[in-house]
Amino acid sequence: MATSLSYYLREMARGEWLRNFLFVKTAPYETPPHFRDYPRLTGKECTHCLACMMICPTPGAIEVLKEDEGWNPVIYPGHCIRCGLCVEACPEGVLMSGRILESQFFENTGYTWTFHLTVDSTLCMRCGNCSVACPVNKEEDPQLAATGTGENDEVIMRVKGGELRILHEEKCTGCKTCEEACPNSAIRVARVIEAIHTAEEGG
Amino acid sequence: MSFLQSIKNTVRSKSIHVSYVNVGSCNGCDIEVLAMLAPRYDIEQYGIYVHNNPREADVLLVTGAFTPQWEDKLKSIWDKIPEPKVAIAIGNCPISGCVFNRRGAYVDPPVAKHIPIAAEVPGCPPRPTEILNAVLSLAPLVFKDYEEKQS
Ligand code: SF4
Ligand code: SF4
Ligand code: SF4
Ligand code: SF4
Repeated sequence: MATSLSYYLREMARGEWLRNFLFVKTAPYETPPHFRDYPRLTGKECTHCLACMMICPTPGAIEVLKEDEGWNPVIYPGHCIRCGLCVEACPEGVLMSGRILESQFFENTGYTWTFHLTVDSTLCMRCGNCSVACPVNKEEDPQLAATGTGENDEVIMRVKGGELRILHEEKCTGCKTCEEACPNSAIRVARVIEAIHTAEEGG
Repeated sequence: MSFLQSIKNTVRSKSIHVSYVNVGSCNGCDIEVLAMLAPRYDIEQYGIYVHNNPREADVLLVTGAFTPQWEDKLKSIWDKIPEPKVAIAIGNCPISGCVFNRRGAYVDPPVAKHIPIAAEVPGCPPRPTEILNAVLSLAPLVFKDYEEKQS
């Protein structure tokens, strides 16, 4: 008892021990380069296909905004969960984060997607907001004006015969603009996303 | 600066007491706070101690998207902390509601609506180093010369 006590006292009186005890800190832990941080721009040209916004699981995390002549995705910290899905989904390699792009290249992985539109006809009041707001409809029929009625059957959906009809589900890009535009939560976009793996090219 | 103030500054810079409260997070951010305590990040070497008693705390770490049950309770926890005090929002949830902030969800973010938040650490979850840096960089701003700034 007395020996061990004196041992401790002698040990703790050493200058080096005191210095270590009071001042030594572990070196600050650096963020490793492979850390999947907020996606950054690679400088490649964005084609405004909106795949990144479609696949993003978090409300308000990513927006594709017009900058001068081109489009560019903008990530919002505080919303973005750093999942990296937008990096993987972008067909043009506009975004990068950690080593997602490298491993995607070597493993030949990617995504395919289809979308299903459903309208709850008991909630839908045939206002046509969804069909007017849809960016694909705007390209197919710029004349499709308020109330969403028209003659063009190339649009994704429009009010036809007193009902909102889905005409070309396959043209949907999954942007969910229609969901946001609907005052009654009547229209729903289901994203069916499949991870794919091809064995060609790469490594 | 008075002698008393300089003593207080020294003591406060080496003893920051942290309390944390989860107002409806998935527990991910709480795990990162826990990791700060573990030897790898070891926050106690910086003089930061976790007690989880608001009456002893200087810093309140808030995680979670604010569920209705916290309506009256978070404010009362905040009121129990003695001055000088500061609240830090940890993770996306108290900032924006993160993935839970959807139509019909029972959350009411941001937490800054309910108690004053001095700093936000985004991430889902944020890295322990990010939380640590937030506490370390905010503490001198709030606690240094506190009494002199008051008068
Ligand atoms: S990393 Fe994930 S959460 Fe962040 S913007 Fe991309 S898809 Fe959305
Ligand atoms: S997926 Fe890529 S190319 Fe398409 S809009 Fe997003 S960043 Fe641009
Ligand atoms: S999600 Fe809705 S708005 Fe977007 S393309 Fe599909 S139908 Fe149009
Ligand atoms: S916006 Fe909603 S209520 Fe209006 S037509 Fe479309 S689905 Fe129906």
